[in-house]
Amino acid sequence: MKKLTSALLAVSVISSAVAADSAITAIKVNGNLDKVSYNYQVWNTAKFSTVTLYPQTTITFNDKKANEMNANNSAIKAEVAAIYNDSKIAFMIKWPDGTQSIQQGDKTDTYSDGFAVQFAGNYSNPKELPYIGMGSDGRPVVIHLQKESVKTYEPNGNGDVSHQVNRNQTNLFGKDLANFDKEVKRTGSGDYERSFVGEGFRSMTEIKDASNSSYSRIAYENKGWMGTLSRPLKDSYVNLDAAVIPVAFAVWDGDKLGRNGLKYLTAWTAVELQGKKGNKDLVAALHGNVEGDVAKGKEAVANNGCVGCHQVEATDAENLMGPSLTNIGGYSTADYIRESLVNPSAVVVPGYNRNAHSNYAWYNVENGKRVSTMTDFSWLEKADLDNMVAYLKTLKAEVK
Amino acid sequence: MSKRQLAMVMDLNKCIGCQTCTVACKTQWTNRNGREYMYWNNVETYPGTGYPKNWMELGGGFDAAGDLQPGIIPNLEADYGVPWDYNYDALQGGASFEPNVEPTWGPNWDEDEGTGLFPQDNYFFYLPRICNHCTNPGCLSACPRDAIFKREQDGVVLVDLDRCQGYRYCIAGCPYKKIYFNPKISKSEKCILCFPRIEQGLPPACAQQCVGRIRFVGFLDDTEGQVHKLVNKYKVALGLRTDYGTQPNVYYVPPTESPAKFDANGKIIEGSTRLPIEELEKLFGTEVHQAIKTLKAEMKKRKETGESELMDILIAYQHSDMFRLDNNYYQQVAKESGRKPLALVDNRYVAGKFTKSGHEMNFFHGGHTGAVGGHH
Repeated sequence: MKKLTSALLAVSVISSAVAADSAITAIKVNGNLDKVSYNYQVWNTAKFSTVTLYPQTTITFNDKKANEMNANNSAIKAEVAAIYNDSKIAFMIKWPDGTQSIQQGDKTDTYSDGFAVQFAGNYSNPKELPYIGMGSDGRPVVIHLQKESVKTYEPNGNGDVSHQVNRNQTNLFGKDLANFDKEVKRTGSGDYERSFVGEGFRSMTEIKDASNSSYSRIAYENKGWMGTLSRPLKDSYVNLDAAVIPVAFAVWDGDKLGRNGLKYLTAWTAVELQGKKGNKDLVAALHGNVEGDVAKGKEAVANNGCVGCHQVEATDAENLMGPSLTNIGGYSTADYIRESLVNPSAVVVPGYNRNAHSNYAWYNVENGKRVSTMTDFSWLEKADLDNMVAYLKTLKAEVK
Repeated sequence: MSKRQLAMVMDLNKCIGCQTCTVACKTQWTNRNGREYMYWNNVETYPGTGYPKNWMELGGGFDAAGDLQPGIIPNLEADYGVPWDYNYDALQGGASFEPNVEPTWGPNWDEDEGTGLFPQDNYFFYLPRICNHCTNPGCLSACPRDAIFKREQDGVVLVDLDRCQGYRYCIAGCPYKKIYFNPKISKSEKCILCFPRIEQGLPPACAQQCVGRIRFVGFLDDTEGQVHKLVNKYKVALGLRTDYGTQPNVYYVPPTESPAKFDANGKIIEGSTRLPIEELEKLFGTEVHQAIKTLKAEMKKRKETGESELMDILIAYQHSDMFRLDNNYYQQVAKESGRKPLALVDNRYVAGKFTKSGHEMNFFHGGHTGAVGGHH
């Protein structure tokens, strides 16, 4: 029986894993892209491509209810388009969501739907892109986040203490009190849009020095969200003025208590800027076929004891020692998987606070740098590595 | 673990549930801007549902292996209670007296109910709670943004509001549910042990206002201090639910004195006590037996000989002895980190390991700031 199964597996997956979504083409336009919204006419000329977003399962958080609700998430498909002109680039993402969730200003346990677009600080080597989960040590990313939300008040914002007191404790009455309320309302920031720079999500830091001039909007219509982002092709953090750039998308479902790592995300996706000349290696690296024998790769993964530290398939037991691999084929590139096998410390997944699971040290800190405790598999034959990568690329939730 | 740890001891034998601490905290910190529902300090009736409702059953903390446990984020309406107010202004116009929201739940909804059958064996006591400023904080371990930190100088656990993104894993991670989500600013907030007051020589508002004088504040390593003596020397002050594994730094002197039970005829059952030791064991661990023994022995000693250091401490003759805020130390920390030390507001409580003299009542003869004296 065992023989038969492996024979069947070998037949069904000969030599390559299913290729990822295809690259996105950014159309060059003439119009102004400073403040692009979802109802902007220019989207009519844009070319929409389908991307698949996989549930983040690399690490599990400590919200009991959320974990129950997100235990069996399937992947979702979204439509993405990009346009650019001489100075700006804009993206639009449309994704299905049966419920419109908005974090309420008077509730403690509600969360917003939202989306984020991630750019790599450096993508000159397609084989060494930043870690998909908000960057990694020495490989920064910039993330633009937009969530549908009620007005929020920035406590550290402008230091306006006089409007931070309870209205009942002011000595104001009538018109003055109405003016006080108005001022409080006015100083509440209008929307949630934020930009971050990060080298791993623990290090993620909001860009507040105004060096970043993005514009993002979000709207709910026909059981789905439309989100747009326009930003400069070039700023002090990233340079997107190239023939091909890597971009990744994430969406949150507030109805399932989604926030932070409780999200759906794409792998790095190549965006080709129409008409730009230059190296296009990135397209092949991100969207080319992954050569390797999946069945043999599965065997090699079993033989090398990966499951000792990782949850490999969703049916395996959870393992806190290493990141869960159950969706790694969905949101990681083949090159990233290969790099992690042969040089585990190149990217150390910024996992739990070490203190949260003190007996499971998936990295040590040496000279201020995180060093993975994973065994280095660079001694494996190339064919074995190819097969393992091909197999790991198949690990992902299905779209339902 | 921080270099030093500022801790609080609360003597539950003396808490009368007057909520002065609650009000002191609320007026100081939580009456505005989305914090209205929060009680950084609350006093709940035990046994009871507590605040938020059934907080002991909402998870968080660590298991024996040291793994952070998943937890539940309480709901405002059902678990904390929506704060309500009345339409006082409209009464002049003849309107009927109405709350602005229908009160369905709130802190102390079950105040003084307790358990047991009146008058035979009913009982309760008050349990005041603030953030435990744990040595191993569950909130800190849960935060995926490193937005929570424990101050090196005194172990106070604080939220960096600039880094906090309002994910609320900290709330799930805290077994005491003493960190709260502010929905108006979408960030988590918590008791700050009144650190801006402490650095200026003032005890935390809850402790200073306490009319029962149940709260002691000082550094655990200050061997002259009452906190050290209660926690480490006499071992009569114990952490709450230390089984959660967070190593809390608020300590409680367990209630030792409870009246005897009555039998069916209303007669006193000699030698009985209403407060089941199992309940105290659940809250304070097995060490509670020894703590109660020590307390009783010292009480007896005091009765017989007139002398007991422990009883003198617990009687709390002088407010100024209950707080040792070691102002020289804070001044030194400020200087070392390039900040200007804050001027003292009050110099009655400044004694400590590095601040020898302290409680000469200098402000009656003019010296508000001088006379800190006794540099290390």
